[in-house]
Amino acid sequence: MRILADYDRCEGHGLCAEQAPAIFDVDDEGDLIHHFEGADVPDGQVDAGRRAIDACPVAALRQA
Amino acid sequence: MSLRDVVVVGGSTAGSTVMRDLRRRGFDGRLTLVDPADGTNRPPLSKAILAADVDDGSVLIDHSTLDVHHVRTAATGLDLDARCVATSDGGTHRYDALVIASGSQARRLAARGQRGEVVLRTLDDARELRQRILASSSVAIVGAGFLGLEVATAAARSGAAVTVIDPDPPLHRLLGPHLAGHLVRRAVAMGISFRQSTATLVGDPVGAVALGDGALVEADLVISCAGDVPATDWLAGTGLVTPLGIEIDAAARTTVAGVHAVGDAAAVRSGTSVRRAPYWANAVTQARVAAASVLGQHVDDPIVDDYFWTEIAGVSVKVVGPLPLKGVPTVLEDAGDGHGVLAWDGRTVAALGVRRPVPKLRALARDLVRLEP
Repeated sequence: MRILADYDRCEGHGLCAEQAPAIFDVDDEGDLIHHFEGADVPDGQVDAGRRAIDACPVAALRQA
Repeated sequence: MSLRDVVVVGGSTAGSTVMRDLRRRGFDGRLTLVDPADGTNRPPLSKAILAADVDDGSVLIDHSTLDVHHVRTAATGLDLDARCVATSDGGTHRYDALVIASGSQARRLAARGQRGEVVLRTLDDARELRQRILASSSVAIVGAGFLGLEVATAAARSGAAVTVIDPDPPLHRLLGPHLAGHLVRRAVAMGISFRQSTATLVGDPVGAVALGDGALVEADLVISCAGDVPATDWLAGTGLVTPLGIEIDAAARTTVAGVHAVGDAAAVRSGTSVRRAPYWANAVTQARVAAASVLGQHVDDPIVDDYFWTEIAGVSVKVVGPLPLKGVPTVLEDAGDGHGVLAWDGRTVAALGVRRPVPKLRALARDLVRLEP
């Protein structure tokens, strides 16, 4: 599974990083860091990745 | 009782989170969703969707990976004895456990029979409102809460003359004098006017607002942003509905065994107090609680998650901790221009005009509570 992030829409809530810390990080300024940008997330992280998509309050994440 | 059939009524943030967490927690029985529409992630509706012509399909929630039977009709009744939900297509859906996530609808101000009231609750509302705003040079908004001010921001950005009318001072009830004052000054600076008055919609179709002193505010577009009411008509006669919504306990249980409620339709009972706080973060945490509770598993999430955010007149606000905010905050971090990280009463933390991730604000709020004498 691949996750696309809309960086313009992201407001730095950081809830994705709570759900999927192996995929997402948010720095102190609230900027999103996507560790699997342009790549598939590892099989063991698919469920966490889906939860992160659901947890985004501004719908900035979606499954490719 | 073995749990084979779970029915969820409503597939937006609360309902979809319940379904995902049920599957994540190992539920492999039948999962039925009753909702006439696709689920919607609502926070962007009054922000990104009004601001620009974006791909608005991104706010629709995808249930396709959840092995759920989606019944695309409205729930019309609930038979607690037979454990059945009735739907408008004549169908009945038996459950071992029911989760009510039917949400709420916009509170309407129009008189009976008065046409043309504009509200913002659904994606279709947002799409229509965006077009109407673009076509309007004057906009009157009744309601100076978060939604009213978010909509006012979008209308002012598109160049309209905007008047916001409310009997109470704008944003004041929940955000208190400090934050409300700051945001209202910003709103005034971008050209938004405020009138503190009662408001009556005038015209058929609605085309103006009558104020308490008899003055008339005429506008190309009048929008009601007057809060929401739980969508519980379909539960009439069940005894589940109170004036505040469907009461639930800390495990998202209603007063009826096997029936849970979450999200905007639910009100949390704690001791003798009952509070409905229809915010996104509460919908999510209540849904996680309900999924565990339905399955008889340990509930490890709180029933209340006091996290709330808005963006008004170009200033973002994120608040962790209980509202309302009273008095003068302590400045934890000064970013200049009144912006920064602020704290109230040793329990609530806000990031005003600065981007700070929620986990960091949560940690700050926890530290405050620990430091409280």
